[in-house]
Amino acid sequence: MKTYSYNKSHELFKKAAKIIPCGIYGHFSPAPLIPVSDYPFYISKAKDAHFWDVDGNEFIDYMCAYGPVILGYNNPVVESAAEMQRQQANCATAPGEIMVELADELVKTVTIADWAFFAKNGNDATTFSLMIARAKTGRKKIIRLKGGYHGVAPWTQSPDHPGIIFEDAENMLIGEWNNYEVLEDFVTKNPGEIAGIIATPYHHPTFEDNVLPAEGYWKKVEQLCKQEGIVLIIDDVRTGFRLDVRGSNEYFGFKPDLIAFCKAIGNGYPISALVGTKEMKEAASKVFYTGSYWLSAVPMAASLATILEIKENNVPEMLAEKGKKLTGGLQKIAKRHGFNLKVTGHPAMPYLRLTDDPSLMLHQEWCGECTKRGAYFTSHHNWFISAALTDTDIQKTFEIADDAFKTIKRNHPHKS
Amino acid sequence: MSAQKIKAGINLHAILKNLEDLVAFDDDARKLIGNRKMCIRFSVKNGPEAWVKFEKGKCTVGRGKAPKPNVILWFSSCEHLNKMFDGKANPIPLKGFTKLSFLQKEFTQLTKRLEYFLRPENVEKLDEHYIKMNTNFTLTIAAYALPEIALFDERAKFTASHLPDGTLQMEVLPEGPDVYLEIKAGKITAGKGKIAHPDAMMIMKDAHVANDFLNGKTDSFTAIALGDVMIKGQIPILDGINLMLDRVINYVS
Repeated sequence: MKTYSYNKSHELFKKAAKIIPCGIYGHFSPAPLIPVSDYPFYISKAKDAHFWDVDGNEFIDYMCAYGPVILGYNNPVVESAAEMQRQQANCATAPGEIMVELADELVKTVTIADWAFFAKNGNDATTFSLMIARAKTGRKKIIRLKGGYHGVAPWTQSPDHPGIIFEDAENMLIGEWNNYEVLEDFVTKNPGEIAGIIATPYHHPTFEDNVLPAEGYWKKVEQLCKQEGIVLIIDDVRTGFRLDVRGSNEYFGFKPDLIAFCKAIGNGYPISALVGTKEMKEAASKVFYTGSYWLSAVPMAASLATILEIKENNVPEMLAEKGKKLTGGLQKIAKRHGFNLKVTGHPAMPYLRLTDDPSLMLHQEWCGECTKRGAYFTSHHNWFISAALTDTDIQKTFEIADDAFKTIKRNHPHKS
Repeated sequence: MSAQKIKAGINLHAILKNLEDLVAFDDDARKLIGNRKMCIRFSVKNGPEAWVKFEKGKCTVGRGKAPKPNVILWFSSCEHLNKMFDGKANPIPLKGFTKLSFLQKEFTQLTKRLEYFLRPENVEKLDEHYIKMNTNFTLTIAAYALPEIALFDERAKFTASHLPDGTLQMEVLPEGPDVYLEIKAGKITAGKGKIAHPDAMMIMKDAHVANDFLNGKTDSFTAIALGDVMIKGQIPILDGINLMLDRVINYVS
């Protein structure tokens, strides 16, 4: 099978490295794409579940822009809604009518939502949720869980990272996923001091198998929060509208006080939202929090169209089905070549790992080999299944995976 | 913990460690030592201890107290030791007065030779031998400084306490040098050479890249994306070590 080369991508990066810190920064940095030589760095166009890089190589995309593009690139319904709004107004002196329509739709759709607030990035919403929890309770401390990602604001980062100081983490208590006893212990040792607990609905860290909640875990956490007056915050930024349109908490059977959404709600348009119960509304109203583009109308129109499309087509069910088909097929192919491909997390955003090499080197090599044959696989992060992924795409992916397995088997005959 | 204590640890356990390879790979250094048999102990009040042993044309540097030193050099404080490494103070010999001439002549010349290889900015023309030695020493200092800062630097201590257990191989292409780190329960141990089946790898494409990278002159994200530094395996190990490598520069003069 033909493999790709990325001369233009890499040339462009050399230029970028001179004038942009890191060349490409943040979660789009090529650094965790291993080996970097197997990956494209710059995109030229995208459509449905495919993108093309600047060298003209075509990829079946299993990252969906790291989550936002749930319906596929350039979805005609979403683009048309955005375009219609753009012709009226976008960033203007007052918000558009669309803001109320979108809030109304979120309140109707998300079970716990009595109100909705809009911003741009997931971190805007998660940080706002902490401020509301503190305003509501008059307490300082927040519990978050090890390996949980909530953005890049100083409170979300490890205090040993550049630009972060230990004081940034002063009021953060770090628990462990699925470990209720640690949470209970924090609460006992910090009576009347904990404002909120923030966590993702299931554990989806990088470089590790993803873990679903243990039976009864969330119910116990919900009960503890209610009993102690602690605000329970769900970071549904990555998972939201992929597991359940009513909120991923419904999928796992519990009720938080606040839910942060981003990514899938805009199908690529810059918008995030925080929704909450009526008990949280007054505190939310008291916190002054805003941004220059947070009330822009075009992303709101795109978001409303996206949410309606997700609901109308029962996208969460569709994603789970496609995800199962894809990962089940890949596991069979791996087995045929003597490898064990472990799949964890939810099928709509699976995390895969070849267990034959605990160092991850073999898995990194396989993902790289697949990518340079046209199936864009990352080895460090959960994947995202696009609603636009077709059976033909999945079939093509199987062929690519098969060829990539042949290559790594040839390179490492002792590992299979 | 004071910066002086960390610096003293790095001077004794990372900088001095390079005498081993200096004697092994540099003819001029080896000639200075000849077949001399001697063990020098460096003793710092409320600070680290190390020893340097010369025997059969080889040099070995170790941690802690040497069992039978011929010479004991005593330092009243970590600051005193660090000043000596900066050429601004002398040690206090407690034992081995008859060996003072070796300390003043050959050993001083040896350390000056080491300094020569560590300071390329003072060298007009860098030949292949120089680059090889400088890269070797830079990599050794980086690897052997890490256990010191993991013990005493507040930020590095935090990083080390969150590091996953495992091994990291650091290599410079095409022919080395190579060092490795073993991490267990937040404690880091450094070693020279290659290990079988490392959990993570950091491969620098040449000596020039290694120098820039280890001296903090290039950012790691860019160096990796450009393919100058190749990484693979358990990236959380590399992430943590990279954070700590950034701290080393604060203590190496």
